[in-house]
Amino acid sequence: MLIKSSGMTDVGLQREGNEDSFSVQDTFGFYMVADGMGGHLAGEVASRVAVEIMTKSFSKWMESQSPPEEIFGFPDESLSREGNYVLGSIRLANRVIYEMASEYEQYNGMGTTIVSLLVGPGRVVAANVGDSRMYLVRDKRIERMSKDHTIVAEHVEMGVMSEKEAARSPLRHILTRNLGSSENVDAEVFEIEPSSEDLFILCSDGLTDLVADEEILKAALKEPDPQRLNRRLIDLALERGAHDNTTVVAVFLDQVEKKRRSALGRVGWLAADALSGMNRIKRKLGL
Amino acid sequence: MAKLILTFNKQVIKEYPFVKDSITMGRQEDNTIVIDNLAVSGYHAKIDKVGGEYFLTDLQSTNGTFVNDQKVLSHKLSHGDNIVIGKHVILFVATEKEKIEGEGKDKKVPLDKTMLLDTAKQRELLARQKVASSTAKIPQKIGVISFIDDSGLGEIELSKKLTKMGKGATSEIKLSGIFMGATAATISRRPSGYAISFAGGMTKLKVNGTVVKGSVPLNDFDTIELGSYKFQFYQKEVKSS
Repeated sequence: MLIKSSGMTDVGLQREGNEDSFSVQDTFGFYMVADGMGGHLAGEVASRVAVEIMTKSFSKWMESQSPPEEIFGFPDESLSREGNYVLGSIRLANRVIYEMASEYEQYNGMGTTIVSLLVGPGRVVAANVGDSRMYLVRDKRIERMSKDHTIVAEHVEMGVMSEKEAARSPLRHILTRNLGSSENVDAEVFEIEPSSEDLFILCSDGLTDLVADEEILKAALKEPDPQRLNRRLIDLALERGAHDNTTVVAVFLDQVEKKRRSALGRVGWLAADALSGMNRIKRKLGL
Repeated sequence: MAKLILTFNKQVIKEYPFVKDSITMGRQEDNTIVIDNLAVSGYHAKIDKVGGEYFLTDLQSTNGTFVNDQKVLSHKLSHGDNIVIGKHVILFVATEKEKIEGEGKDKKVPLDKTMLLDTAKQRELLARQKVASSTAKIPQKIGVISFIDDSGLGEIELSKKLTKMGKGATSEIKLSGIFMGATAATISRRPSGYAISFAGGMTKLKVNGTVVKGSVPLNDFDTIELGSYKFQFYQKEVKSS
């Protein structure tokens, strides 16, 4: 599998500091965007701590292939081993930020969102807490691979508010979950199979507040280079006033192995069709 | 301190100073503002104070919440707003300081700072909001595949986020056949629902009779064929503990 990736952040036009952090690690295929919140420098600290703790714990577990029982928190049975490493690293980062926030006065009330992507052979793990998002662009369509933890997203899920109303609601920036505000946190984790020409985009709400899903798709289809795509997306946010820090990480996959394209394979397809047809007839006849 | 003035037929019934971070309005007795009228839901609406601003949220009430004659689901309150619940009118009065701040700002500027809904009370309210109305409940569902061929595999719950099907050792659902891929197809649970993808091997994947080479979303009672295997997909509700 080939991976092309790039990350970019911009402070925007109205904020003084940048509270977003991101990480691009091709060795493990691990990518993250975090959007911190909290007074003074606390937001910056929270997002940076999240990215650092997750990177360290995840790579440690991954390198030693730790059994799921040995990672932080109870394993989730519905997830793969790698999925549990990601989940564990989010839980650990949450605990560390929570302890820091309650221990030190200057960090009181700090927190951060997180969205992370793990690309492995045969499996992609998408995880998030808060309103930083992940998109998958595949077959010229865009799909969200994260779930927003906001009041309005809950209203949309309950069917009492449309996506359009949610995008304009004054409550859209009010989170129901983040890293750092409580001792334990539930993360949203999804697993899918990778496919050639998949494009994953991780971003903070500085982008999604100003650029609609369809516009992200349009930009992605025009720009096959991750760095240039990031530039294009951030420029869009800047053109529209960029009231918040904007961060984008783009990950392009290629040559994801699917053993079926050889000439021999084509002959095999025909034979397989014929054989499965025969099998069906044989079973029907009770042979 | 901001306050709310409850009125009925233009008569003031009671004033409520905004002393907590969150108040609720409804027919049940544990609301901050109890309105005993059949047109009012048990927990009808709430107001949260978030970072010096006041937000009204309708709690999926039967008859709706109105602000200045507009039906609202959520609304940032300004000084002088009239909240109408049933036949009762609640007037929102901001403090002098908040009034001045509110006038100084361009009111169209959205709240662009991310904040966390944080107090225990607010969390509890949010939880109660889900229980208060049956329509507000988000049912938890799990995907099931039911084999309708003669393989004898029966029904299999998709308890994993990603389920691999094929003859390989890493496949959760083992299928046989000379041309079956080690992983022939995968079913994944995504934010938008379940989807099935072709993964490899020389056995074709068909959904409702159409060959799938990439991935397609799965809907209830879609029929899937993988070589000589044939099964249906559906989702069943999980009893939440």
